[in-house]
Amino acid sequence: MKNSGFDRIKAEQKPKKLLALVVNWLQAIFDLIWRWLSNLARPIGLLGPAGIWLLLLMVLPMLLITELSLVPGLKPGQPIAGYGLLNYLRILEPTYLQVLQRSATFATGTTLLCLLLGFPVAYWLALMAPKRWRNLLLVLFILPLWTSSLLRTYAWITLLRSSGVINLVLGALGLPTQSLMNTPWAVYIGMTYSFLPYMVLILYASLERLDLKLLEAAADLGANPQIAFWRVTVPQTLPGIAAGCLLVFVTSLGDFVVPTLLGGPSSMTISRLIYNQFLGVARNWGFGSALSMVLILMVSLAIALLLKYGDRNPEIYS
Amino acid sequence: MPRRLSRSSLLSRTSRRHFLQGSAATMAVMGLSNCRRTIGETEPEPADSSTASAEASGALHIYTWADYTDDELAAQFTEATGIDVKIDVYDSNETMLAKMQAGGGANYSLIYPSDYMVTEMIGLDMLAKLDKSRLIGLDKIREKWKSPVYDPENSHSIPYSWGTTGLLYNSEILTTPPTDWNYLWDNSDVLSRKMTLLDDVRETMGAVLSSLGYSYNATDPTELEEAYQKLLDLKPNLASFKSFGWQDELLSGDLLLSMVYSVEGIPVSLENPTFKYVIPESGSSVWTDTMVIPTSAPNVDAAYEWINFNLQPKVSQETVERLFFATPNGEAMTMLSQELLDNKNLFPPEDLLAKCEGIAPVGEANALYDEYWTKVTSA
Repeated sequence: MKNSGFDRIKAEQKPKKLLALVVNWLQAIFDLIWRWLSNLARPIGLLGPAGIWLLLLMVLPMLLITELSLVPGLKPGQPIAGYGLLNYLRILEPTYLQVLQRSATFATGTTLLCLLLGFPVAYWLALMAPKRWRNLLLVLFILPLWTSSLLRTYAWITLLRSSGVINLVLGALGLPTQSLMNTPWAVYIGMTYSFLPYMVLILYASLERLDLKLLEAAADLGANPQIAFWRVTVPQTLPGIAAGCLLVFVTSLGDFVVPTLLGGPSSMTISRLIYNQFLGVARNWGFGSALSMVLILMVSLAIALLLKYGDRNPEIYS
Repeated sequence: MPRRLSRSSLLSRTSRRHFLQGSAATMAVMGLSNCRRTIGETEPEPADSSTASAEASGALHIYTWADYTDDELAAQFTEATGIDVKIDVYDSNETMLAKMQAGGGANYSLIYPSDYMVTEMIGLDMLAKLDKSRLIGLDKIREKWKSPVYDPENSHSIPYSWGTTGLLYNSEILTTPPTDWNYLWDNSDVLSRKMTLLDDVRETMGAVLSSLGYSYNATDPTELEEAYQKLLDLKPNLASFKSFGWQDELLSGDLLLSMVYSVEGIPVSLENPTFKYVIPESGSSVWTDTMVIPTSAPNVDAAYEWINFNLQPKVSQETVERLFFATPNGEAMTMLSQELLDNKNLFPPEDLLAKCEGIAPVGEANALYDEYWTKVTSA
């Protein structure tokens, strides 16, 4: 009986030990998963909402456009008959290449004009303007963005037309009047005006962080202000310049309002062409999607180029 | 004032709201191609549930242009029939079609498509055949609209309103007034860079075709090529192609002549006698907007009630005097004020009207029109 009692205890202990072991194991695994999850919880919590947003409103539509762009001559409501690259080949026709080229030219010109006009303004705001006025001046500069761009473009008609405000002033000063309305120049003026605030804001943010000690060091080492500007200030603000140019280029590439309202009879741009393919007479959604893909590609290319060169240069100089 | 900013035709519409949508063209493209499916998923299909709910509430859902129905009209209808009216508006036929095709319009019992869109929707089997025995007052419709090309015998649609496309010009400077399209080519020295045509491929190409003696709806490739060449000849003298935004320049005298839709041109000519609207002699386009019942419509009875209500001459007359568009209702016309009736622009004489064509679907030629248009506007 002694034995049996001992045995009984032993027998009871064995499974208990095993159970404890299993429980321990489970706990460890659970712990691991829990820790893993809680480590992930924060990124998921932080990225999730935007991720779902992007997935639903960016990635899925993009995939849809990609699919539609591969259907030649797709009309809305029609079943998808077959896939092919015809839509993309059609873009290579001279007529459409001309449209792409015009859009790229408008966007590049606008970007350069914004940079030329915006840099001095941002420089003055960030480095020279009285400190207590700075915020007010910045607000004033972005104030126009609070009204509709359509309204502001209509205002430019009043300014640019032959008997408009600009020509009135020119005439009063005894200068020759210009016929700017309905020309590519009007498009450049309108787009530069529209996107200048973006450029100034980004350049301002970049110039505000400028390390002034480096400028002093440059002066100590004998650089005159001009050399210091080109070799210290500009390289330090290159990322800002790149970001500003990128934003202006991308937005002006897709601009619809300004070329439509201010441009002349030859102002077909890619965004107008895409619009025509979707809601115009052709209603060729396949071709429209292919054009959209090309637009996305052009924008991505610009981003890739500027990310590459916008990032590298400061390292070389610093 | 008729501020129906957007009209029946095909390309860039005049509505500013629509235009804003277009301003985000790249995003819109994504949105549009997307809605083909996603709206279909999120909105109820024309299934029993939505039908039941719409019928249970008894409300009549109408999908229409911005200025065809006002609160007063809806209130009068509710008073007369006891049916509540809910109105949604669209700004282009294509927007409406896209929404209906995506299944997002399952609640609508009545829509107002334009002529060519009626034909297209009949082809897509989207419109219910009308039961004429349930309609009262069809005999009052003017002869020209009794059996229109876009919908013979009005079997699927009831004409509601109409208008034209023409030239709005500064009569102080253009002392010999334009009478026909060829005026633009003959006087290109005076008009050089002081005239605009519509940013609307079918209207502008149609006008050039008409000036050549061809149909507004030509589909023959050689005729289209000829029109394209003639338009290219004029292009150096054009200020721009504009469906909207010409007003400021025209009123200030910087433009002398603009091709416009009657709904936009006539109000300007009424406000300021310097500016005159003219329908070119060789004919322009006459457009008609209609009332139709989609096949997916719930509450069909209420839709018939609405059509019958609007067919009443008295209602039609009052709507025209309030909202200011031309009506195809012959009896309503006899009740209009003499001043409105005498407006030859609003109600052009029969012989001129006979020369005007409605924009009709051109089928495969659509692609050709679009190609020539891209060429003209990008060269």
